[in-house]
This record gives sequence, C-alpha cells and structure tokens, in this order.
Amino acid sequence: MATLTPTLTLTSTDATTDQLSFSVTDSLSITAPHIGLAKTSVSTTGANNIIQPATDGQTYYVYVKHTGVDASGSTVTTTMNVELTGDVVVGKLSAGEFMWMPVGGHSLGVQLQASSGTIVAEYAYFTKA
Amino acid sequence: MATTTATLNLSSDMLSSPISITASSILMKAGITEGLELIEMGRGTIAETDGSKTAEFGLPTALGADKAAKLFLVNKATDPTYYIDIDLHDTNVGRLYAGDWMFIPWGMNDTVSELVIEAEPSGATCPYEFVLLQEPQTLVAHS
Repeated sequence: MATLTPTLTLTSTDATTDQLSFSVTDSLSITAPHIGLAKTSVSTTGANNIIQPATDGQTYYVYVKHTGVDASGSTVTTTMNVELTGDVVVGKLSAGEFMWMPVGGHSLGVQLQASSGTIVAEYAYFTKA
Repeated sequence: MATTTATLNLSSDMLSSPISITASSILMKAGITEGLELIEMGRGTIAETDGSKTAEFGLPTALGADKAAKLFLVNKATDPTYYIDIDLHDTNVGRLYAGDWMFIPWGMNDTVSELVIEAEPSGATCPYEFVLLQEPQTLVAHS
C-alpha cells in the first residue's frame, strides 16, 4: 500500500478585485492496479478509447489531461469529452486542461472521445486501498 | 478577461523513486480565447436521511451546450467511512470519501447533466464545500 497526495491550487489576480488564492490537498491510500502516467491518441469513438477498466465495486482516482496536440504532434483546439463507458458525458476538456475525480461503486469504466480528428491525452488512475 | 489558473500536483511513494506529476492550465471559456469569469463558492451539509438530492450547484441551467464550467467539490466529513455518492442525473460516477475532492469539467447544459449527491452509509452526515467556475449567465428580467 502506498500514499498518493493530490494538491489542487486555484489562483487569480483579476477574476475579482480581491485576489483568489485557494489550495486543497488530500492523502489517499492506494494499491494496485494503477496506471501512471500514460499517453494515448484519442479518436472520435469513445468506446475505442477506454482508459480505465470497469470497476468492480472499488474506487479509482482518475487523472486526465488534454495535451493540446493531435497524433501527428500538431496543435489542436478541439475539445475532448471525458465519459463513463456507455457514452455518459461527464464534461469536456479544452486544450491544456485537466481533471481529477473518483470513479467507482458501479460497473462503469472511463473513456475519452475527441470532438474531431485525434487528440493526445495523458492519464493516470490509482486504486483506492 | 479574468485569468484563473488551476494547478494539480500528484505525488506518491508507491515506487522506490518518488513520483510527481504537475499540470497547470488557465481556465477558459469555450473557444479558449477568454477566461471563465463567474465564480460561485459555498458549503452545505447532506445527511443520509436526506436521500438523493440535486446539489444546489447542480441545477441544469440555460447556459447552453458547448459552454465551459469547472467544478471543485470536497467532502469535509471526518469519519473515514462516510462518503458522498456523486451521480450525473441517473448515472453513478463515484464516491468522495471523507477529505477527498474532485475537480472536473462539467457540461451543466441539460437535465442529463444535473449533479446529484447522496451521503452514505446509513447514519452518515457529510459537510461539503464547492467552487464552481463558469461562463457568465444572462440575468433574468424581474417578474
């Protein structure tokens, strides 16, 4: 068993006249299986881009980032859906954006779907101990 | 234009060499030319006896498709057995155990994307806090 420490920081000097400065961290006990860090070229068919297998009651912590390039390395501005298997859209990432979420307690996996062409994504997942 | 930067760092001792992953991005409106400007923050408490509730920040809005929003949600419970079940409408996404948080892009454009939360197991009470960053909405005329 190992420890995973995720930390999120949100900062802004001009979103409001008062500065935004926000930070949160956590200490997670994790175990196998885990994938971290991996890269994949995402196509427009979500079912072909499953990055986290269906859960069997366990919880996975999932990280996904839209790298902003396609399979050839060219810059893209297209968006990438993050979905549960079965095409349930959680949300869409623009170029350079990332997400962090727990997935589990059911029998669904996580898949990615490009809005057009290909998008290179980075991802990782860790299993809650 | 507002510039709000989100940075995520993941570090672990699961290998003999330390692991550290850092990602940072400016949170943009759809179209990535302007930053998100509307920031909503709050806290609440949900008990297991409340059943399944649409979170107050989870109401589908008239924001419309192809708009951008980011949601941060943390379970502030201290009992490690208490968790918040997260659903997108009728589909279960996962569980936020005590102290755990998530940061996700969120569609919030129709009923199917409503965010539903539920405290579990029996007897659980979970305080929570949230930050929602989204595109400005058109103000509604007074009645």
